[in-house]
Amino acid sequence: MLALIVPAFLILALFQIVPIVIGANASFRSWSLFNPQKTWVGLANYRQVLTDPLFYGTVLPNTFLFMAASVTGGLVAGLALAMMLNRRFRGERIVRTAILLPLMVPPVVAAIMITWMCNDQFGIVNVVMQAVGLEPVPWLVYRSTSMAIVIATDVWLWTPWFTILILAALRTLPPEPHEAGRIDGAGPWRLFRYITLPLLRPVLMVCVVVRAIDAFRVFDIVWTITKGGPARSTETFSIYAYKQAFVYLNFDLGTAASLVGAAIVMVVGAVLYRGLSAAVEVSR
Amino acid sequence: MLAPGWRRPFFGLAVAAVTLLMVFPVAWIGLTALRPASGVFYVHRGTEFTLGNFAEALAKPEMKASFVNSALIATFATIFSLAVTITSGYMLSRFQGATASVWFALIYLFRCIPYISWVIPLYLLTQWLGILDTYWGLLLPHVAIHVCFFSWIMKGFFDSISPDLESAAYIDGCSRWGAFFRVALPLATPGIVALGVLCWLYTWNEFLFALILTGSRTPMLTVRMAQFVHETGIEWHLMSATAVIALGPALLVTLFAQEYVVKGLRI
Repeated sequence: MLALIVPAFLILALFQIVPIVIGANASFRSWSLFNPQKTWVGLANYRQVLTDPLFYGTVLPNTFLFMAASVTGGLVAGLALAMMLNRRFRGERIVRTAILLPLMVPPVVAAIMITWMCNDQFGIVNVVMQAVGLEPVPWLVYRSTSMAIVIATDVWLWTPWFTILILAALRTLPPEPHEAGRIDGAGPWRLFRYITLPLLRPVLMVCVVVRAIDAFRVFDIVWTITKGGPARSTETFSIYAYKQAFVYLNFDLGTAASLVGAAIVMVVGAVLYRGLSAAVEVSR
Repeated sequence: MLAPGWRRPFFGLAVAAVTLLMVFPVAWIGLTALRPASGVFYVHRGTEFTLGNFAEALAKPEMKASFVNSALIATFATIFSLAVTITSGYMLSRFQGATASVWFALIYLFRCIPYISWVIPLYLLTQWLGILDTYWGLLLPHVAIHVCFFSWIMKGFFDSISPDLESAAYIDGCSRWGAFFRVALPLATPGIVALGVLCWLYTWNEFLFALILTGSRTPMLTVRMAQFVHETGIEWHLMSATAVIALGPALLVTLFAQEYVVKGLRI
């Protein structure tokens, strides 16, 4: 029985657990290029990160905003699309391929596409806005519009994932409850609200937990679209930790920040996991 | 079930809108890639088209190598990840007891830890092991990324296969391994193939690990492209051409395996 998990465990231990230990060690030391002694400084790095106004005032709010908006957006859109596709219609195959498309697109490519479309001078979005008589918007100059673009990109990328998982669950639902509901005279909305939705609860919860944890650590699209700008106002916690470690070369502060983020996401994950277990319990 | 008559036009409109929303950005970058440098700033008007951008984009330094590297890493990461998580997922599904619960808890815990928390020190570790900026230095961390989530998913695949089938195989004289290879594994194959396709795409698309763990010796496509944005921010025609080529293999894989992906996840 143990033999079954040994390869997986070895990989996990060497390439995830060991690095975390190294990182934790570095976060308690003064670990920079110019200090070969790597002096032990206790919690000083954590104190510095937690009292950095950029970290608690901009980075954490951005991260939570991104997480909430992208999970909600993806869930609602994915559920709607799955309900729409869960029937037969002409051109179904083409539509399904189109909806799967964003799932294959590398996030970096999606980020490049959106940056081009929202280019302030030549982007198609501003061309269309001018054509209908609106003022062109310099999208990546403001914090609000930059965040909106990043979130929209993420929702676009991940909606298909929600759709596939929810659609798969819809296909395996037993037909009897719906038939019973229809015989009792329930309309489409009531069938959805009181039968489909409760039956889908376990899969929806799984989607939310997985995506929330992933969204918390977003890096690639933010990095490619804004690099954390304008003026570091759209940095998320992964970007902040990366910049500390590899741009400003404060390896100690970078690891400390990344572990603060890990602690936060653990708490979030634990809360969500309890919700998940409860939902699965109810469905039994 | 066909949509009832009066709702049909509305339904058709909604379907068309959604399709457009999903396809438009990709189509737009494709169109941009076909415009010559002179027409790129006004993609929506003008009729000159060219295929020259693709050749020019591929001629950029490190570009061809980065395509090859990304494809190789994606392929081997998929093989290794599936190999180690099939057995791990099977164990989680079929065995109860302390070891299984500890392993499951470990997987959930480490799945939650943000990548950035271990990829920063992973830079030091791979440097110390002498595999920074090599294939192994990126491949093994990629397998580590997938261990947790895939074990979880694989558990789901095996959960949906009744253990009674394996019991029947024991009665017919199969060993535990025999039952696993002859009964459980073939039944789980559609799911595993689907997961393999997704794994290939995740690895091809991955950015953060590639950014930190590779350099000029093993350039990776996503990193190269992101640099491109900031180095040559104005050469949109070349950038689009590169993006289109980057989409190519992923597009093929999923078009080719689309039914499989949907079927596999339906289990």
